[in-house]
Amino acid sequence: MVLIRLQGGRVIDPAHGRDAIGDVFIDNGRIAGPPEPGRKPDETYDVSGKIVMAGAVDIHSHIAGSNVTMARLLMPELPALAAEKGVPIAPTPAAWSAHATGIRYAEMGYTTVIEPAMIPTHAIEAQRELSRIPIIDVGGLAILGNDDFTLGMLRDRAGSSEIEDSVAWTLQQSKCLGLKVINAGGSAAFKFNARTFDLDDVVPAYGVTSRMIVQALQRAVTSLGVPHPVHVHCNNLGVAGNVDTAIATMEAAEGLPMHLAHIQFYGYGEEGPKGISSAAPRLAEAIKRYPNISVDIGQVLFGQTMTLSADILRQFDGRLGAKPRKWEIIQDEGNGTGLVPYKYRSKNVVNALQWAIGLEIMLLAEDLWRVLFSTDHPNGALFVRYPEIIHLLMDRDERARWLERVPEEARELCNLPALTRELSLSEIAIVTRAGPARVLGLSDRGHLGRGAVGDIAVYSDQADKTAMFGNADFVFKNGELVVRGGDVVKVTWGQAFQVAPGFDAAIQRKVARFYDRYYGVNPSSFRVPGSIAGRPDRFQTVPCLN
Amino acid sequence: MAAYLKGESIDEASALAVAAELLGRARLPVIGGLLTDIAGAEAALALAERLGGVIDHDAGDALSRGARLMREAGGCPASFGEVRNRADLVVLLGDAPLKRDPGIVLELFPPEEGLPRPGDNPRELVVLGAGKVRAGGEVPVTAIPLGNRDLPTLIAMLAAAIAGRGPRNKTRAADAKIAALAERLRGAAFPVFVYSPSDLDEPVMHVVLDMVRELCVTIRAATFTLAAPGNGDGVNLCSAWTCGLPVRTRFVDGLPVHDPWLYATARLIDSGETDALLWVDALEAEAASPPRGVPTVLLAGNETQKGAADIVIQVASAARDHDAELYMPRISGIGMIEAAQPNRDRPTVAETLDRIAGLIAKPESRWC
Repeated sequence: MVLIRLQGGRVIDPAHGRDAIGDVFIDNGRIAGPPEPGRKPDETYDVSGKIVMAGAVDIHSHIAGSNVTMARLLMPELPALAAEKGVPIAPTPAAWSAHATGIRYAEMGYTTVIEPAMIPTHAIEAQRELSRIPIIDVGGLAILGNDDFTLGMLRDRAGSSEIEDSVAWTLQQSKCLGLKVINAGGSAAFKFNARTFDLDDVVPAYGVTSRMIVQALQRAVTSLGVPHPVHVHCNNLGVAGNVDTAIATMEAAEGLPMHLAHIQFYGYGEEGPKGISSAAPRLAEAIKRYPNISVDIGQVLFGQTMTLSADILRQFDGRLGAKPRKWEIIQDEGNGTGLVPYKYRSKNVVNALQWAIGLEIMLLAEDLWRVLFSTDHPNGALFVRYPEIIHLLMDRDERARWLERVPEEARELCNLPALTRELSLSEIAIVTRAGPARVLGLSDRGHLGRGAVGDIAVYSDQADKTAMFGNADFVFKNGELVVRGGDVVKVTWGQAFQVAPGFDAAIQRKVARFYDRYYGVNPSSFRVPGSIAGRPDRFQTVPCLN
Repeated sequence: MAAYLKGESIDEASALAVAAELLGRARLPVIGGLLTDIAGAEAALALAERLGGVIDHDAGDALSRGARLMREAGGCPASFGEVRNRADLVVLLGDAPLKRDPGIVLELFPPEEGLPRPGDNPRELVVLGAGKVRAGGEVPVTAIPLGNRDLPTLIAMLAAAIAGRGPRNKTRAADAKIAALAERLRGAAFPVFVYSPSDLDEPVMHVVLDMVRELCVTIRAATFTLAAPGNGDGVNLCSAWTCGLPVRTRFVDGLPVHDPWLYATARLIDSGETDALLWVDALEAEAASPPRGVPTVLLAGNETQKGAADIVIQVASAARDHDAELYMPRISGIGMIEAAQPNRDRPTVAETLDRIAGLIAKPESRWC
């Protein structure tokens, strides 16, 4: 029973309305109140003058799986090129490795990260890779909605219980925390040579619309009581005028919980000489109007990155903009994956608008608990660049410096120059900690209440927020000191979250027949075993709500 | 665990100690073969990193060709399931795919109807660069023989024809067949080119990819490559997520450096650069003997001669003695294969490599 005291820091815990100088205690790996009289802390850290927050929680970051590893093979040099002006971030391909991922996240004060696109048939690789990422806890979201089994059920007008069984079976099979739907029906239509797909377009041969797929899966997730709502990547990503699609999808949620991923990529109007403009105010208004909706941003930063998405239809279209000019379109069962290297340039009007729109959506948000921080790593920017975004959100002078570098046309087409808001430390803690934890249904983290997991990040308060959030002074994971002075001092191994909703065994037989007939395999060959990490207690089951 | 030193039986602890000593004092040790599962590959990578050695695979030539193509141009692959269910026109490039996997046509053209697919063309198979073909199954097969040309020439002619450049002389029967195939490909809904990376040179692989990309402008098209033998694809993927690079990578001061020519096992042995080899041959139903010419530690899952290498350590065979994560062509990804004859008598490759690594003191890198 180790008792740790973090003494005299500025404790920022928006879940409990706390922003005050005080102490935080960790008792046996969990946040605790002050000890009983007579009990002395085993370890005391003087953190006076420093900022104390819960460990950060990333709701959407592509860190593992066959799609990520194919991206590594396509562009191993990415980490050396990732910043604007070619400044290397970690000048070695090893920075793409699973191990380095956990190390760097921990240095920044992150302790939980969600991999948002796990391909069910490739779940073994994804979970294996996740298990090789040190320190942080993880969870995966399994992809459904373009797979022939789901489409077949919807075509045959299967009952809601069968769809629920299928979702529950998939989540258990992949050991995932939640469900992801990516351009519902769009990848399936691509298989029939479609090149665009909208919310009410019909999947050939199946006769179902994107709306029907999203709604059916959303209802299944809700009915099963999976704490994290269905995590939706809408149709028409990156297309001018697509703000209408995003808002139509919010309406289609019909009041039930739904999370919309990387919403910046849907913040586009059609005004201006290039036919694209910021629709951030409309999005912000819609998010306000629908309290059942949460979003993450998918912020863009200037520099080299890789777009990596199971929205194969969008990625196929985007291949022509590949920079450097190489790309991979992987046509798999279900969604498939597209990998297209891309460089966002500050002198490019559209790129500059994208950059501005993400910031606008966050700065216009009334309820930041539902507007969460992300870059859709690596799509908008590599996760190692999060501190630069925090800096932009907290410092309007920093924004002004960057606005001077973008084309005048972009400044005129966006609203960012007029936005004076600077997010407070409490608000940063909401969008990087308390908010994502709440939306994910991970009630024991993102805050510093008693009983919460002992995940804490301590930062030196400084005007340069990029430096401040780039390397934490201390990070505790489950009460163990893992980072000191910005460097990892101990490599620990975290857990993976899953849900385990029950299902009728009949679905197993039906799925097995399906895979046997069409793919010649038994689903047991891609079922994730509990032993995948080679460590006991790797998986932690998050209870369903019913 | 049975172990042999110069053909003489020795005890387990001594075998591991001698192996660790040989590898630990080597200037440039190579860990190769790697007919093993993902757990074995992970342990091999950890050992290579600790030793400052090279990691390679028996199918390293084919894997490196694929990796270079990927790094230079990318790709446009389809999974086994997509080809089996949705491709209307499947073109085998040469007879190598059939030689390497005689059952492939039956697998790709099962008798039952597949999932809904684009277009209404009947499914058909073309074998480019082969004479009479015994493909099996009921699918209509067209063979286009090499004639007096070689396969790369035929592929290049086909690519040019698809791009609207010839062949000029359509009165020649062979050229007319290429022109006709190009026309059928353009009229297909989802044509797929099947090849074996072990049997196609890299420039030709580029031509195939360009051909697919040309077709993709108007229709759906893809490549389907035969998996590398010996879980090569699985080991290669594992290398990429472990250190960011494919096999044929050397660890220098803990950091990985990749070079598909410089770090090829055979070249390193021929040139005398390497002075110790650890060879892993431990996969159900597959085998690869270690090359000669360098002091070698052999981890053998198959029955092997006691003197097959300087040090022979018998280990479990993945997917025979124990469940194993392996690249499974049918899911075009890593799956779990249950043990055919579960048997815990022998240590796994991963356990054995971990024990050897434990005898070699090196600081761990932060990267891998």
